[in-house]
Amino acid sequence: MTKTAIKKNAGKASSKNAFDVMSYLRHDLFPHFLCPGCGHGIALRALMWAIHELEIDKDRIAIVSGIGCSGRLGAYIDANTFHTTHGRPLAFAAGLKLARPDLEVIVITGDGDCLAIGGNHLIHACRRNLDITCMMLNNEVYGMTGGQVSPTTSEDRYTTTTPLGNTEAAFDACRLAEAAGAGFVGREVTVQTPTLKNLLKDAIAYNGFSFIEVISDCTEIYGRKNDLGNSPEMILSQKSQMRPNSYGGVIVDEPFRPNALPTGVLSTNARPEYGETYRNAMASAKRKK
Amino acid sequence: MAGMKVKKTSPRHEFEIRLSGSGGQGLQLLARIFAHAFSSEGKVVAQSQSYEPTSRGGLSRSDLVVGMSEPDYPLATNIDFMLILDQVAVKAADGVISDDSLVITDARLVTDPPKGAFRVLALPIMETAIGLGNPRVANIVAMGALTGEGNLCSIEIIEAAIRENVHAKLTNLNVKAFQEGLNLVAN
Amino acid sequence: MTKATHQQNLQGNHACALAAVAAGCRFYAGYPITPSSEVAERMSLELPRVGGTFVQMEDEIASMGAVLGASMGGIKAMTATSGPGFSLKQENIGYGVMAEVPCVIVNVMRGGPSTGMPTRPAQGDVMQARWGMHGGYQIIVLAPASVSEVYGQTVRAFNLAERLRTPVVVLIDEVIGHLVETVRIPDPGGLDIQQRNWAAVAAGEYQPYAAGDDMVPAMARPGDGYRAHTTGLTHDESGFPTQDPETVERVSRRLLGKFEHHRAQIDQFEELQTRDAEILIVAYGISARAARRAVREARSKGIKAGLFRPITIWPFPQQALTKAAKKAKRILVPEMNAGQIVLEVERVAGRGRVKGINRIDGQAVTPSDILEAIGTGD
Repeated sequence: MTKTAIKKNAGKASSKNAFDVMSYLRHDLFPHFLCPGCGHGIALRALMWAIHELEIDKDRIAIVSGIGCSGRLGAYIDANTFHTTHGRPLAFAAGLKLARPDLEVIVITGDGDCLAIGGNHLIHACRRNLDITCMMLNNEVYGMTGGQVSPTTSEDRYTTTTPLGNTEAAFDACRLAEAAGAGFVGREVTVQTPTLKNLLKDAIAYNGFSFIEVISDCTEIYGRKNDLGNSPEMILSQKSQMRPNSYGGVIVDEPFRPNALPTGVLSTNARPEYGETYRNAMASAKRKK
Repeated sequence: MAGMKVKKTSPRHEFEIRLSGSGGQGLQLLARIFAHAFSSEGKVVAQSQSYEPTSRGGLSRSDLVVGMSEPDYPLATNIDFMLILDQVAVKAADGVISDDSLVITDARLVTDPPKGAFRVLALPIMETAIGLGNPRVANIVAMGALTGEGNLCSIEIIEAAIRENVHAKLTNLNVKAFQEGLNLVAN
Repeated sequence: MTKATHQQNLQGNHACALAAVAAGCRFYAGYPITPSSEVAERMSLELPRVGGTFVQMEDEIASMGAVLGASMGGIKAMTATSGPGFSLKQENIGYGVMAEVPCVIVNVMRGGPSTGMPTRPAQGDVMQARWGMHGGYQIIVLAPASVSEVYGQTVRAFNLAERLRTPVVVLIDEVIGHLVETVRIPDPGGLDIQQRNWAAVAAGEYQPYAAGDDMVPAMARPGDGYRAHTTGLTHDESGFPTQDPETVERVSRRLLGKFEHHRAQIDQFEELQTRDAEILIVAYGISARAARRAVREARSKGIKAGLFRPITIWPFPQQALTKAAKKAKRILVPEMNAGQIVLEVERVAGRGRVKGINRIDGQAVTPSDILEAIGTGD
């Protein structure tokens, strides 16, 4: 889209209006930095669409991101956006949400940011259960630094630091999040954009920590290195590897990520949201004194 | 108070106390009660401690520098009154006590007290505490002995400080322990 | 608890926590580490009483991240740690410097390097506090020398952090952190408490990093309609990343310049008999307490000794030291490290007359260590 074709910011969104992604974006940063074929832009669109349908005031939205390709997405969103340090967006988000429960805090992170350097923060964010939505874009690679192996790189795949093929096992991030106590866990591929949008809506609406793994694609670096085809080919192949809503007994015996992944809402629970729990406990302790 | 000895010296304004023993003997609490009492009298206290990373056993010491205003240097360098409740703490006397110092030790637990020109009083502190039914009040028995022998503070103020710093259930036991400690040095 | 303004026996770490609350701190995130943990423990008790939030995070890095997150949300925030944790926090403190996020980091120094001696005092983080991050930056570091000063300097740390939009470090040695002293806590109503400069212009006119004469940009509070972008990347006045050399030069100069601009507010030091001092002691923290007694004892023997005590140790008060050292033939710098601030003193006063007195045995510097170096003839 050319700059002149971009509409002026439409202000507060309403679902009565048709969804126009440009009314949720900052226009002065275009053209954007994403490579052709990158799945991250689709995920961004789905997130904006979910926010639009939930009719959340943009002033109340806080986007917290880390470092990497995923980390750069926040800057394009017309909201309160915080581009933080590598691996730490969940830590920043915890402070922000505890200090400002009125804000809708959404973390955008990647597989390296969230599962490697920030892995400890993920498991504790799941355990703590603050009302934060964490959207992890999994493209199986460190794209911004040039294509190194990540904790979700499939076995045998080539990256710049696995020139002979990856010999390490990959995380199943959703099972990790569920085991750590996340209140709402789901996964979707980018090609199913309306389904992804609905999943994100449920995640944002959920009062507690929600973890959404978006299976994204890095066509330019990872796809090329592994001969996975162009972007449409990559995302269609991803789709064929997914097992919608089939989470359950099927993969429980597999310690790490299997070849076929379930999608949809994978687990929910009704644990109390931590910020409310803390404030209520402190208020009642104060009354007793 | 009945049985109180005649004061040997006039009350001091500036002095240093070292309370030493092994971890778990309640020396930090003792220091806190002393500090509370001295500051209630209008004095200014600097209380420091040295302890090991573990909570029990090993050398533990707590120091009080007492004066009428904030001291230039808040750490003890020239101890006037020293309590030693365990043999392990004898080394804490090295280089900081002088001929004028008073050293009170537990007669049973300190088998080899520091030697020098200073006065050493070996008292049955632990034995007295056991006699009261609780060896854990040895620290308060020692407090009585130090207070009486050193004329450190008014008895009423110390007793009030004890009441404020120990659990209500244990107040009577501790006050009794303090009085028994005073009695150990009462003649 | 004893009422404010009453005389009380208070531990340095507790004084730090009480001062933070009095200064308006309403968020604390931390991770347990000796010898600073009493700050966290006291905050976990005090903050709920004033409607604030305490959280023990999963690690030191997360604690610093959460503090920055809370502050970006508009709440005064603090953490406390010791050497190893301070190392872990450095990257995020750097983020605070770059993104200009007010916050206070308390470091109660223990023996090092590495795990060192957790329960023993040291002053080994003076250079880490100044140079622990990467890149060219300025940071404010305050070093109190008594329990009452811990209180005063913690309040001042919040004021400087909020007014200058920057992280401020309170550097306390273990002796002062764990020292209990009889202090008179000021009536909170009588304290000078400063607030952040919040953006007040129309949303369309707001430039997140455009500063006025005082070189400190007004901060946007989420929810106030500015929808600003915050990043640790080098950014222009709009808040968005840039690598344009001219712009980078301009914004970097402004980021450094705001400290120089507010230098009068930042600098603080104490002088004791420096006017005619032929032997000048330069010391901070507990070492300065030892120096204070040493100076008085030396003076009582007719030796012209004096003490220059930087309270704000970074930026280093070089002009004041130059003045205080005018007549000094010898300058002694006692520290509980292998020689850190002594390098700065040498830079200011010239190497010839400067000598360090260094204790690296986990013990505090004593007055006799200094008197021995002065050479009183004893």
